[in-house]
Amino acid sequence: MRYNSFTYLLSEGFRNLFKNKKATMSSLVTMICAMFLFGIFFAIGENVNTIMEQVNMAQGMEVFIDIDATDEEISELGNKIRSLGGVNSATLKTKQEALDSVKDELKDFQTLLEGFEGVFPASYIVTLTDLNLSEQVKSEILQMENVDEIMSSDQTIELLIKIANGVRVAIAVIFVLLIIIAITIISNTIKLTVHARRKEISIMKYVGATNSFIRGPFIVEGIIIGIIAALITVCIVGVLYNVIIEKIESSMILQQMQVSLLQFQDLSRYILIVYAVLGIGIGIVGSSISMRKYLEV
Amino acid sequence: MIEFKNVTKIYSTGTEAVHNASFTIEKGEFAFLVGSSGSGKSTLIKLILKEEEANKGNIIINGKDITFLKPKRVPFLRRSMGVVFQDFRLLPDKTVYENVAFAMYIVKATPRHIRRQVPMVLSLVGLSNKAKCYPNELSGGEQQRVALARALVNNPTMIIADEPTGNLDPVTAWDIMNLLNEINARGTTVVMATHAQDIVDKMKKRVIQIDKGIIVRDDKKGGYNSEIQ
Repeated sequence: MRYNSFTYLLSEGFRNLFKNKKATMSSLVTMICAMFLFGIFFAIGENVNTIMEQVNMAQGMEVFIDIDATDEEISELGNKIRSLGGVNSATLKTKQEALDSVKDELKDFQTLLEGFEGVFPASYIVTLTDLNLSEQVKSEILQMENVDEIMSSDQTIELLIKIANGVRVAIAVIFVLLIIIAITIISNTIKLTVHARRKEISIMKYVGATNSFIRGPFIVEGIIIGIIAALITVCIVGVLYNVIIEKIESSMILQQMQVSLLQFQDLSRYILIVYAVLGIGIGIVGSSISMRKYLEV
Repeated sequence: MIEFKNVTKIYSTGTEAVHNASFTIEKGEFAFLVGSSGSGKSTLIKLILKEEEANKGNIIINGKDITFLKPKRVPFLRRSMGVVFQDFRLLPDKTVYENVAFAMYIVKATPRHIRRQVPMVLSLVGLSNKAKCYPNELSGGEQQRVALARALVNNPTMIIADEPTGNLDPVTAWDIMNLLNEINARGTTVVMATHAQDIVDKMKKRVIQIDKGIIVRDDKKGGYNSEIQ
C-alpha cells in the first residue's frame, strides 16, 4: 500500500461511502430533495426577476403634454425627463402618432375621427429602470411645465412588486430551512459512519493521530456526497425545467403579456455554482459537527 | 521519565480512583502495576496516556509536565509512547503490514522510511512471514505481537501495556513477556499493568501495587504479593 496524503484521503473517503451504502443513499436522497426544492424556487425567483425587468422596460408610464406646447418646449421636457434618476428611456409620441394609434385601434370605424385631428395630445412614453421608483418619478414629472397628466398602470405594477418581493423573501426563508435540514441529515449519516468506526478512531488516537488527520476522510466523504447530489439534482432540475417551460410558453398567457421566460442554459451557470458551494459546504459542516463527540478520547 | 507527584483522580461520578499517588519510573526501567480489578491501575495508565485529567498533583513525562497539556498537544505526547492493550485493537480490514505501517503514516513518516522500518519491526516480533495476513487469520498471541510491532515502530521511549497477556494462554503470554523483556533490554522503558501473578513473580522486576486508589507497595524486585502482607 502506498501512503500518500491525497490518495489516502480520497480512498478512505470513498471506502466510507461504500461501506455504509444505506446511510450514503439516505443522505444522498435527502440532499437531492433539499437541493431540488431549492432549485425550483431559485428558478421561479429568477424568472420573476426577468419578468419584472421586461415589465419595467415595457410598462412604464405615459406623460401627456399640454396640447398648446411648442415643439421646442416638448423636446426640452423630454430632456428633463431623461435626466431624472430611475428613468430608462423617454420616447416621444407626436400628435400625429397618437392619432394614428387611435385610428389603428378603431380600424373600420376611422370615419368617426374626422374633425378630431387636433384633439389628441403628444406624449412621452417613459420607461423606468426600477419599478420601485415609479411614484417618485411620477411626482417629479408632474411638477414640470407643460405636463398635462400621467397615465400608468399603477395597480398592475404594485401587484408585481409585491409578488416579486414576496417570492424573494420566501426563497430566502426556504433556502435557510433547506440548508439546516440538509446539514442535520448529513451530520447524522456521518455520525453513523463514525459510530461504526469508533474503535478505529480510538486506535488512531492512541497511536497519536491528530484530530484533523482523523477528520479528513470523513469530510471528504461529506464533500463527495455533496458533489454527487449536486450533479444529480442539476440533471433532474434541468430536464424538468425545460419540460415545464415549454408547456408554459406554448400557452397564451405569456404571449399576451409579451414577456419571455429564462431558458435553463441561462440558469444552469448559477445553479451549478450554488449547488457546488452548497454541496461542499453542507458536506464539510455536516461532517465536522458529527465528528466532535468522537474525537474526545 | 514518568513521575507522579501527589496525583489524585476523582471521576465525575464521585469515585476516587487514585489518591495522592507519587512514584517515579526511570528511563529504561521495567515496572509492573499490580492490583485487583477496580484498584485504580487502569486509571493510572489512562493518566499517563492523558486520556484522563488529574484533579490534583502533577504528572511529568520525559521531563515535561503534562498536567496542563493542551488537548492539541496530546497526540504528540502519545507519539512518544507505544501502547498495547488486552484486546489487541488492530484494524480488522488492514493487513499486518498495513496495521503497523498505519502508525507510521499517522506521524507522517516518509514512504521510504516506512518501507524500511516496518519489515524490521515485524522481524523483531517474529512475524515477517505473516505480513500479508489479516488480523482474523492470526492467533491471539500473533495479534498481540502485531500490536507490539505497531507500538514499537515509531521508536517510542516507553511502552505502556495494559494487561497485554490478559487474553492469552500461559505459553503465549510468556512469548509476549519475553518480547517485552527484550525490548526493555534495548533501553525502552516498559510499564505494564497486570494481574498475572506468576508472571510478576518470575520476572523479578519492580512492582508498584495499588489498592483502592492508594499505592500500598513499591518493591524494586518484588513478586505479586510481598512477604510483608
